[in-house]
Amino acid sequence: MKYKKLLLIVTLNLVVLVTLVITMPHLMITPGKPIQAHREFADDCFACHTPFIGSQPEKCMACHKVSEIGIKTTKGLSIGGEKKSVAFHQNLVEEECVACHSDHNGVMAFRPISSFSHELVEVNVREQCNGCHSNPDDNLHRKIEGNCSQCHNIDAWQPATFDHDDYFRFDHHHDAECKACHIDNDYTNYTCYGCHEHSRSNIREEHFEEGIGDYENCVECHRSGDEDEAERLWRSRSNGLYRSREENDHREYGEGYRRRWHDDD
Amino acid sequence: MKHSIFRKQVLPFIGLFGGLIFGALIFDWVLHQLDLVWIGRWIGIPGTLLILSSFLYSLRKRKKISIGKPKQLLVLHETLTWIGSLMILVHAGVHIYAILPWLALFAMLVNVISGMTGKYLLDSSRRSLAEKRDYYRTQGKSEEVVEQQLFWDATTVDAMKQWRLVHLPITLAFAVLGLSHIFSILLFWQWQ
Repeated sequence: MKYKKLLLIVTLNLVVLVTLVITMPHLMITPGKPIQAHREFADDCFACHTPFIGSQPEKCMACHKVSEIGIKTTKGLSIGGEKKSVAFHQNLVEEECVACHSDHNGVMAFRPISSFSHELVEVNVREQCNGCHSNPDDNLHRKIEGNCSQCHNIDAWQPATFDHDDYFRFDHHHDAECKACHIDNDYTNYTCYGCHEHSRSNIREEHFEEGIGDYENCVECHRSGDEDEAERLWRSRSNGLYRSREENDHREYGEGYRRRWHDDD
Repeated sequence: MKHSIFRKQVLPFIGLFGGLIFGALIFDWVLHQLDLVWIGRWIGIPGTLLILSSFLYSLRKRKKISIGKPKQLLVLHETLTWIGSLMILVHAGVHIYAILPWLALFAMLVNVISGMTGKYLLDSSRRSLAEKRDYYRTQGKSEEVVEQQLFWDATTVDAMKQWRLVHLPITLAFAVLGLSHIFSILLFWQWQ
């Protein structure tokens, strides 16, 4: 009898609470108010949520037509400026809005970018980085159009797959910041002058002693702070072995980073 | 004597409950530092399971099952509910925006406090009563006189034993609120 009464009380309480959850979920369970644009749905959870299923993209797309995202607002007004999100939204592998968007301020207005997967974008569009991303405003990237995957991958912008060691390996004598060699954020060029030992007069003197007249493109021979390595490279180049590699490089990369050669080439 | 009670009863009580709150804060902080906040979302499930499994003691005490020693099961009950409560506190964090999770959390904390209070006060009262009984006996007082002088103390201890009657309804309230919370999560969960 005692247990039956207890069970009845528990059941009644449970029924009342479940009824409250269904009728007033915005008070009982909301994870924070919706973002400002969706504030009008603050009291109507089922406007976006389907019971026991979740937020279905169909409900989002009833207002946010994919063909108009980034072009028009949900009220039909034209959106000015650069339309970066147009191509992206129109070329998704599947329309799964909540994979990126979460509209409750309490959780987070927009999921952290780390949760976004480029796999959601169609393969042919995935390579068109400029459809969504803008080039960084530095001298190197300003001159580049497309082909981002040569140096970057879709998992993260950094670290880039560009390998500085292909040009110059840092050692404890060269633990420098980028701007020490790449003046004015210009990564298409560099200078070794300016450091304590690398004065123009010193370098000229040392190279003339070895009979080297063209020494402006330092990394041709100096791939690190290792003097012996530089000498080996220079000697091999002098013997003509380096020439064939240089011609290959020239064919492959064209005029660019290694465009100045020593007089004796 | 007062010092002894404070050291033996009050300090462990404060330590255990304070440790629960402090432990939850540290746990939550570490998750945020390691960018593992997602763990907080899921840790409520193992926490609930731990608390549920601690009810083995309740079943044993009410003779619904016969496995295990009650004393060991009590220690297990206290340990599992403490750890489970810690996990649920981390799960709740400070990100509570709605009534139901607040109520469930409040009921859980009241439940924990009632359990700890029962454990420490009852223990303390029993020992105090036994010490007084021994003292009166060594004074050479008859058993009848001893019982008369300890009447109110004994009545108080009997009243303390009734803490379980408080502990149970609070447990049920917590269970109802917890179940409603789980139902509401299932109702709004993003299943796909």
